[in-house]
Amino acid sequence: MDETTFQIDTRGAFSMPENHKFDAGYGLTEETIDYICDAKGEPDWLRQFRKEALRKFNEMPMPFHWAPEGIRNVDFENFRYYLSHGATPSRTWEEVPEDMKRTFERLGVPEQERAFLAGVDAQYDSETAYTNMREELQKQGVIFVNSTEGLKEYEHIFRPWFGKVIPVGDNKFSALNHAAFSGGSFIYVPKGVKLAQPLQAYFRINSESMGQFERTLIIADEGAELMYMEGCTAPQYDSATLHSGVVELVALKGARIQYVTVQNWSTNVYNLVIQRGLAMEDAEIRWIDCNLGSGLTMKYPAVVLQGRRARGEVVSISLAHSGQLQDTGARMIHAAPETTSNIVAKSISIGEGRASYRGEVKVLKGMKGCKNNTECDALLINPASRTDTYPAITVHGNASAVQHEASVSQVDEEMLFYLQQRGLTRAQAMSLAVNGFINDLVKEFPMEYSVELRRLIDLEMEDSIG
Amino acid sequence: MDSPQNISMEEAFALAEAEAKLSAALLESKERFSKATMPDRLNEDWRFGRPHVYARELAARITAAGQPRQAAPLEQDDDLRQTEMLMPTIGSDALLALHLEHFGTGEAHYIEENTTTPLHVSYTAATALTPSTFIMVAPGIRAEVEITYTCADSSCIFATCNIQVAEGAELRVRVHAEGHGTDARCMLITNIQNMGGKVAHLTSYKSLRWAREETVAETYTPDSETRLFSANHLIGEAVLDQHTKQIHHSGGATSDLLYKNVLADNATATFAGNIYVAPGAHHTDAYQSNRNLMLSEDATVNSLPGLEILADKVRCSHGSASGPMDEEQLFYLLSRGIPHYEAHQLIASGFLDEAIEKFNN
Repeated sequence: MDETTFQIDTRGAFSMPENHKFDAGYGLTEETIDYICDAKGEPDWLRQFRKEALRKFNEMPMPFHWAPEGIRNVDFENFRYYLSHGATPSRTWEEVPEDMKRTFERLGVPEQERAFLAGVDAQYDSETAYTNMREELQKQGVIFVNSTEGLKEYEHIFRPWFGKVIPVGDNKFSALNHAAFSGGSFIYVPKGVKLAQPLQAYFRINSESMGQFERTLIIADEGAELMYMEGCTAPQYDSATLHSGVVELVALKGARIQYVTVQNWSTNVYNLVIQRGLAMEDAEIRWIDCNLGSGLTMKYPAVVLQGRRARGEVVSISLAHSGQLQDTGARMIHAAPETTSNIVAKSISIGEGRASYRGEVKVLKGMKGCKNNTECDALLINPASRTDTYPAITVHGNASAVQHEASVSQVDEEMLFYLQQRGLTRAQAMSLAVNGFINDLVKEFPMEYSVELRRLIDLEMEDSIG
Repeated sequence: MDSPQNISMEEAFALAEAEAKLSAALLESKERFSKATMPDRLNEDWRFGRPHVYARELAARITAAGQPRQAAPLEQDDDLRQTEMLMPTIGSDALLALHLEHFGTGEAHYIEENTTTPLHVSYTAATALTPSTFIMVAPGIRAEVEITYTCADSSCIFATCNIQVAEGAELRVRVHAEGHGTDARCMLITNIQNMGGKVAHLTSYKSLRWAREETVAETYTPDSETRLFSANHLIGEAVLDQHTKQIHHSGGATSDLLYKNVLADNATATFAGNIYVAPGAHHTDAYQSNRNLMLSEDATVNSLPGLEILADKVRCSHGSASGPMDEEQLFYLLSRGIPHYEAHQLIASGFLDEAIEKFNN
């Protein structure tokens, strides 16, 4: 790559003193919260709310009794809790690791985006694309803003649902997010509006598009439909090493929400995300989830099926290579009769990587005609790869059917041999096999994502097989 | 050390090494017990198991019953006591420590000859009993054992069982626990060590208010085959809490598990299984299946089938399914004039028969 086109000298200088006013420093205390509130100009009720959440966060224990070992390394004192865009620490293009540059090259990421994704540039400028889109949306009455703006401008819609799907005291990380949240999206789609185009966090130009303590609330009113996408397949460097987002979805009667996440953070990031949706009568919520990066991911998208005939689905792909633990899964709570849910999770472990599926399916007492189907498949590439499956299924009563199946397998040697005989290298053959393994799930992703995903797997295979 | 004259240097060395290993293991085990706390809500191995109710109640009953009589048959046997000390549990180290305090009752069998009729081991508790059973099968020997636990008069049994199977041996163990009275309770901790033989193990629990099973099946050599089964028809307020671990220390071995329950009335069944394939244990075949037939609106099933795979070239799968009775089967029986109640019973017993049949073959 021709590095001179990047004008590194000026782009790398983002740690200029005046930008530091948006850095809340290390550790989380009441002062940090005051700092965040002042910086964002938030109302008093929110300040009190955040402080209350902080108190809960400090009181609650870490979930050591079930969480993966890696979580013991999380030291809350060593993180920064509020960094605004101007305060992204200095990093020059030379400092960007070679393999990351190579990946950009292979994925065909536009040059402007490369700088942003690699942490060299603090902002990705897509103002024009966004403005056009916003006008279109406004005509339909759709609200699509960041969470700070949402709380300010649309308090009457936002506040009644704020923290209702995932309450403050739900768990330690939920309390943490309530105390320190910044960034994320607030979306409201009015009754009967069906959005043809997916909404992308990527195009919502603002300082906090990919916040550390992202807080997203999406409300689809009766009969509304939307698809939301966040993240990207290209590797992303982030100096903020703790990510603990909260995503709440509310699908009212007959609404349909699809939420697509693709995550490829650098391995210094702890990605501990809580995602939960509430599906009312005849509503449908689908989580389409792809975890490629971060050192430790703990993410279990959930759907609470609250209304009759509601439907929930989780489609999940995770890829763990050496130094990574992908602890992903799904939760389905059947809290109404005749609700159905489906979970399909596929994981690939490469090198010394470890991929785990952790799931929970619950059919509450008195709920009749509920159905759940869970499938999780794991593929092991190298002898030192590891995979785990930890499902928990609870069924009350005799009028529901729940089934779970999991399998662990390797790429068939004979198949590799056949492909190699036809002139493919071992890495090519392996990548073909791996792409075949996740093929039916990749189809669920928007086209540009799935193309990038395939290229990324090619690259991974080249690295691990050679 | 006082080794006999007729063994070689190598053998003496191996013996000394084994002894050193044993004392190290015992030391480790002592530490394990000193650290162990009574199961509580944060103990993941007691998830859904209500330890604050059931584990406490069991410990209280065992403690209240006091020490076994001095004449208890295994009281003086330090080797067997050590074997029990080294037993793995699934979240119940503190309870095993309590069991060791009451060590003494039980039977030890070293089976060196083929048997044609099953060997019977049976225990009956009047108030509380803490038996230990040891079964060792010599290389190439075929044997069958039946262990029966009877809790008379709402009493309780807290038992351990150590099974060791040598190369080429074949063993079938049928364990049956039964209660009388309204509040009989039973807990069984079992360890199966398979060194290249074939083991089939079947458990069944009947009329117990509460039962907990912790079965750890370990395979150490290739060609070992361990099959675990359970078949239970739970009625009334029965609570059954089953935990299993299939540990593959070395590759090339097979393990299979099929646990089936029929649940009526207010019964609750918890199954938590785990297949662990150690690093380097390639070419392992391990399967695990939990099936539950729900007959009542108030029955509850918790199923936690787990896998931990640290090797590749492995074939592993697990499945769990819980559901109501097949309406078509029921309709067929009813249309043949079989009354409703009998039809239910027939389908339920047919459902459980699969596990029993597989054990018998």
